[in-house]
Amino acid sequence: MKTRTIEMIVLALLVISSVWAYVGKINGWHHGFVFSSSVSLVIMILLALSLVWILIRTLQDKLVGRRIVFLYIGVALSLPLFMSIDQPIKVSDEVRGVYQGLVDLQPGSKVLISFDYDPASAPELQPMAEAILGECIERDLDMIVLGLWPMGPQQATMALDSVMSRMGLTEQDVVYGEDFVNLGYQAGGEFVIQRMGSSFESMFKSDFRGTPYQDLPIIKNVKNFSNIDYSVNLSAGFPGTVEWVQVGVDRFGIKLGAGNTAVQAPTVYPYMGTLEKPGQLVGLMGGMSGAAEIEKLTNLKGKATLFMLSQSFAHVIVIAFIIIGNVAYFRGGRKSKLKGE
Amino acid sequence: MSPRRSTTGARPPVLCSCLLIPLVFFFLFLTNSASLAQGETEVVDTTATTPLAPVTSLLAQDFKYDDGDKLMLTWVPSIDDIPVTGRVTAYEVYQICNNGEPHRIAELLPEVSTFRVEELHRDSSYQFYVLALAEDASAQSVVTAAITPEQEWLKWNWLNLMVMTIVVCGAVMVFIKTATKGRKLFVRKIAGLEAVDEAIGRATEMGRPILYIPGINDMDDVQTLASLTILGHVAEQVANYDIKIRMPVARSLVMTAARETIKAGYQTAGRPDAYTDDMVSYITDEQFGYVAAVNGIMVREKPATVFLLGAFFAESLILAETGNSVGAIQIAGTARPAQLPFFIAACDFTLIGEELFAASAYLSDEPKALGSLKGQDVGKGIAMAAIIIGVTLTTLATLTGAEWMSSATELIRSWFVVTD
Amino acid sequence: MEHLTFWGHFGVWVAAFLTLGIYSFLYRDNPWYKFTEAVFIGISAGYWVVVLFFDNFYGKFWVGRGEEPMLWIGAILGLMMLMRLVPKIGWIARWPLAFIVGATSGLWMMNYLTSNAMSQVQSTIMPLFGEGFGASFGEIIGNLIIIVGTFTGLIYFFFSKEHKGAFGATARVGIWGLMITFGAMFGYTVMSRMSLLIGRVDFIFRDWLGLIQ
Repeated sequence: MKTRTIEMIVLALLVISSVWAYVGKINGWHHGFVFSSSVSLVIMILLALSLVWILIRTLQDKLVGRRIVFLYIGVALSLPLFMSIDQPIKVSDEVRGVYQGLVDLQPGSKVLISFDYDPASAPELQPMAEAILGECIERDLDMIVLGLWPMGPQQATMALDSVMSRMGLTEQDVVYGEDFVNLGYQAGGEFVIQRMGSSFESMFKSDFRGTPYQDLPIIKNVKNFSNIDYSVNLSAGFPGTVEWVQVGVDRFGIKLGAGNTAVQAPTVYPYMGTLEKPGQLVGLMGGMSGAAEIEKLTNLKGKATLFMLSQSFAHVIVIAFIIIGNVAYFRGGRKSKLKGE
Repeated sequence: MSPRRSTTGARPPVLCSCLLIPLVFFFLFLTNSASLAQGETEVVDTTATTPLAPVTSLLAQDFKYDDGDKLMLTWVPSIDDIPVTGRVTAYEVYQICNNGEPHRIAELLPEVSTFRVEELHRDSSYQFYVLALAEDASAQSVVTAAITPEQEWLKWNWLNLMVMTIVVCGAVMVFIKTATKGRKLFVRKIAGLEAVDEAIGRATEMGRPILYIPGINDMDDVQTLASLTILGHVAEQVANYDIKIRMPVARSLVMTAARETIKAGYQTAGRPDAYTDDMVSYITDEQFGYVAAVNGIMVREKPATVFLLGAFFAESLILAETGNSVGAIQIAGTARPAQLPFFIAACDFTLIGEELFAASAYLSDEPKALGSLKGQDVGKGIAMAAIIIGVTLTTLATLTGAEWMSSATELIRSWFVVTD
Repeated sequence: MEHLTFWGHFGVWVAAFLTLGIYSFLYRDNPWYKFTEAVFIGISAGYWVVVLFFDNFYGKFWVGRGEEPMLWIGAILGLMMLMRLVPKIGWIARWPLAFIVGATSGLWMMNYLTSNAMSQVQSTIMPLFGEGFGASFGEIIGNLIIIVGTFTGLIYFFFSKEHKGAFGATARVGIWGLMITFGAMFGYTVMSRMSLLIGRVDFIFRDWLGLIQ
């Protein structure tokens, strides 16, 4: 059979099964699936055995293609979502530092949260945002939210809506303008932080909804960073934590905790201090594991905790393929292949 | 006997007293408890009416090293301002300008003891007082003496920063001057730099285009500037060998600057007619939209050589991996540490961090770029010396307990502390 | 999900269609991917036009033009930038470009010098054994790595001396340190990429198909 025919058949099967699953979901034919512990164990063993088989084939100079690696990663990420296994989560000092920053505050203190990311980084940063906002609500802290990325403020609104529904709260419990304000997006990156150092109002004449700055009870007395008790920055790149440290912390002395995508976290680590010597950041949440840790501390278990098993599975697969890749490399298989190209 | 009798004879009174005493006690108890309850109420009332202690030692001072628009207030919090059980709920700061009416300028949380007053004028005098607030009482502090904010021309607490800037910038200027005079400045060979010409040569042999990606940041990023300097050299070679260059960009300003650079390269090579604006095209500002487009270009046009020089973020591996998969020789360079691992893994040559700037200086042979590089080496030299001397002294101070060593360490360390 | 309107259902299907379209590139370049790519680029370019127009031109300049005269300087610089459209006076566009480069260099220089240079040097000056010999064995190793790593890293990026002899050996230690750091970063990034993928896989199986309980 021609490759093209096979591809078309596979595509058709995928479409049919997707339509079936979707219609089934709508009509209640199925309510999703979950693997028992024993089935999960069998799947893990099968995966491990297949990896050993790939290793053996590699030793025989029969190399697997990149599509097989993609397939394995896809399978390793997907299957754990159906498993009913809990993964233990150990809280690191860095994440505890961010949490402690909130714990140290008195009710009514003002917390500035900058949402410097967009939906592309939401799987890592949205759980952090929800946990932080949830803890602020729990401790009766005033939340002032802004975004140096255009989509940041929308992410903040989504995070607040989600955490309020999870906590069973209504708009009467978290009053907009009194307990929470969304200042919206402001273009200009680090210049915005710089200007906020002298006046918030000069950068945000009104909030996300167009209400003038002075008409919002929560911020009308907030002139600049000196009126902010704690700041949290959730960032996926530029402008982000580095700029907040360089301008906000080093120039204006704000107390800053950060949540970063795992890609960014190593770049931000030098700003962390040690136990004896505090650094420019009081704490750092790195990637999905950081998100899962803050969810544990705040008792707001969400998607990060749920996704950790998939994450661990994927890591095991990546490690396995690193080993297989190196075996192939040192046996010279890959080298000769490359020369042949 | 009589007493006994009398006692016996007095039975009715005994009975009476037996009934009376408990009654008396009962009433006494009632009276007591009533008075006790009354007393408790009185205690609460007493507390409520007890005057609230005001803040003391209120002091208004000029805020040092500003434009003359700030004053600093400090005070000792009210003695009723105790955590958890304290009565003070808030502090209000009042300002009197030029002996006018007082008006409230801030409301602060309990336990706060400083406040920076801003947006003041140098030609006005100001007085302040702080009002401690409780649920049912308030207490005003004394009013401070009139004070006028003063302007300072220099931020003396940033003296160390100024000295460092002068030293590093001074060194840069001296080296630029030296280079301008025609003296050869030594810059060590950078591995991977020779590969630039080799890569261009490969594209010529294969007759396939060169793809140049300047990162996704704008012209305000120094990496983009360095990338465009290298582009100038590449453009010249491209014009010489008559190869096709393709440069998709993510920022409109970069597009403008890149067109200028390539045009200049073609002019230097003596082929201005061969230049077209189509060589540089704007795609989109959106990171992954740009990546999707560049990936498509790589797969469809199969460039012989890919340059990935500039500021890269999450797209680095996607681009480098796609470039690798189409068999292009890839030269990468970025100062974003997080992206370097992918370039090292997926590209043939990588300019690590500052090597990107060094390469741009090396290739352009421009006195300004070379002088900057050498000047920065002076800064690095200072940092290295401070680290070596500082670490040695502080470690020896821990071992020997010598006071002078600790003081010397603190002195060195203080030179690197910048506080506002 | 069951209570979605027609457009709600349509939105979920479009999201799923585009997600799978992008991932189909992993198999090979195909029309589905090309279509998704074109949609993505078109929408994002349009989105940025709207964001920049409303946030910068309208939100910053138009709204505040009466209150802040300084904004007019920005507007004039912006207008000068558009002079590129007229080839004869295209050179005028270089002036605002020079302004942007100059202003940002000035701002960045101070920020980098304080945060990335001076604060880092200050943090690296530490006693090897901790204050009052308070450091554990692990902490001593940690301190040693920080001190040696920073110093040798600086040596590697010192361009005024050829990497030969003892200097070259120290620089080699520096590059090893860098490579180890890159390895750790690679790990972190793999974690990040997996997180993004998990987010999409969760969307496909939970929000779209409802297969996850």
